[in-house]
Amino acid sequence: MSDDFTGGCQCGAVRFRVAGPVNHASICNCRMCQKALGNLIAPFVAFAAPIEWTRGRPTEFRSSQNVNRGFCPNCGTPLTYRWGERQPSLTIGAFDHPDRIMPTVEFARDNRHPVFAHYDEMVEEPIAGTDEERDILAILKSYQHPDQDTDRWSPGEGK
Amino acid sequence: MTGALTGGCQCGAVRFRAGRLGGAAICHCRMCQKAFGGFFGPLVSGYEVVWTRGAPSYFQSSDRFHRGFCAACGTPLTYERLGRGADEPVELAIGALDDPRLAPPSRQVRYAGRLPFFDCLTALPARSAEDEARLAAAPPISFQHPDHDTAEWPGPGHDEGSHV
Repeated sequence: MSDDFTGGCQCGAVRFRVAGPVNHASICNCRMCQKALGNLIAPFVAFAAPIEWTRGRPTEFRSSQNVNRGFCPNCGTPLTYRWGERQPSLTIGAFDHPDRIMPTVEFARDNRHPVFAHYDEMVEEPIAGTDEERDILAILKSYQHPDQDTDRWSPGEGK
Repeated sequence: MTGALTGGCQCGAVRFRAGRLGGAAICHCRMCQKAFGGFFGPLVSGYEVVWTRGAPSYFQSSDRFHRGFCAACGTPLTYERLGRGADEPVELAIGALDDPRLAPPSRQVRYAGRLPFFDCLTALPARSAEDEARLAAAPPISFQHPDHDTAEWPGPGHDEGSHV
């Protein structure tokens, strides 16, 4: 496998590539990361190598005087966290293979969502609980960009 | 305002209110991961949802569903069935609620898709106490919308009591 890491937004309008190794991978529980990502925890990774934007670019929202956060203007996927003029960190979920990037440190533990105090108790639910859900999933046609670079891509062409 | 069933995006251009919340879950599927840029998608069923400021933009992620987000700041907001009926809930991004503690997930869906290190996330070392103290001593001026409704927005920057 190449040492490169690739990823992008859900629709594929923004794609990136960066050479490994990972410099720093983290999860953050802070309220700003939660709201920016609409999530309970925010996973970010930084690399020493420069990020190459291979298709499109993120749009940025200035979330504080220090920080800009980038997202895909077409589908909204949160993509970057940029402190000043430093190289941005990237959201780990946006990578094509996020399983390659394990976080090693937790930020803002004081603000952990309560579910993470006992998340072992969350029950596993089958992929589709009802016949109707199973029927829908069986024929669902995804319009998400594939988890690899593509020479050409039109959002909506499916895979 | 703690306890109000309100929420919105990071910048505050889109705000919503729900009449009540239903079940909450985290979803490990690859589409939720990528749409949220996260390790999973956290969703709670919102009933009688009204958009009190702005409205989401949508990306149609499949032939059956589309996902709402704020066009100004990107925050993922909803996961909705196309042609959803008026009495059908909107799946809301839990982190976008002003008080996400009101929606503790009780289920994990698409469990087979969970990342191999998911079960280790609560065992990671925390940032050092020195670093946390240093950050707390110099809080940033946040431009995030506060965790409650506002009459006018954008407002001045404020201390969000967190790091960025």
